[in-house]
Amino acid sequence: MALPVCVSCKEPILPEQKGVKLPCPSCGEVVFWRCRKCRDLVNGYKCPKCGFQGP
Amino acid sequence: MAALETADLLIPLEVYLAAGIHIGTHVKTNDMRPFIYRVRPDGLYVLDVRKTDDRIRVASKFISRFKGDKIFSASARQYGFKPVEKFSSIIGGRSLTGRFIPGTFTNPKLPNYAEPDLLIVTDPRADWQAIVEAAEVGIPVIGFCDTDNRSQLIDLVIPINNKGRKSLALAYWLLSRQILRERGELPPTAELPASIEDFESKVLVAEEEYGGYDLEG
Repeated sequence: MALPVCVSCKEPILPEQKGVKLPCPSCGEVVFWRCRKCRDLVNGYKCPKCGFQGP
Repeated sequence: MAALETADLLIPLEVYLAAGIHIGTHVKTNDMRPFIYRVRPDGLYVLDVRKTDDRIRVASKFISRFKGDKIFSASARQYGFKPVEKFSSIIGGRSLTGRFIPGTFTNPKLPNYAEPDLLIVTDPRADWQAIVEAAEVGIPVIGFCDTDNRSQLIDLVIPINNKGRKSLALAYWLLSRQILRERGELPPTAELPASIEDFESKVLVAEEEYGGYDLEG
């Protein structure tokens, strides 16, 4: 089973790491994951489809 | 030129400025640096209204993808109580005003236990407990952030003045209007039945704010 990958750091997210799964806020076509560490450190993310940059 | 500039905003620029949605604080955080337009000579940081407008559009698209009853909006700020309650009643969500009871999202034994899909917070610093519990259960968080807020554990920042009565009312009114338009419940040019004034809280006097204590004595 493939683990989800964080959109910011590209690291796999283990089940106990408490990542969050969200559709792209702008286009909604891509669903990506953010790991807890990247959310804590406010690492940015970019939608691979529409280029929206967050948070 | 001014007409061209305001043509692509959701509401006229004057309405934004009159509500003071762009007024920041004397403190700037690194997280909010991209949303700051300039610093006034008195040291007050000013938010970029264009980015606020853009983020409200994006947030409304994002929120409209979730089921209404799974959207929770929280406010520990008194000026956010009425806007949050009104916003929740319009979009069919649930509001959490006042003190956030720890365990609301994580402890199934509590009578007020809930399982949301999305959390909207009025002030990330005041609503920190709700944000931490949302991170524990793995749901996305949208936050109204001022220039002095950190965007830790927040997935979508909406840069506004989250301390102002009129500013919060305008932001929640605009967000609810846009969500209904995105859902198709309101035609693209139609207005909400509720006005911005319906979202505004009453002005707090010091006695009420400090629990009736005599501040002068």
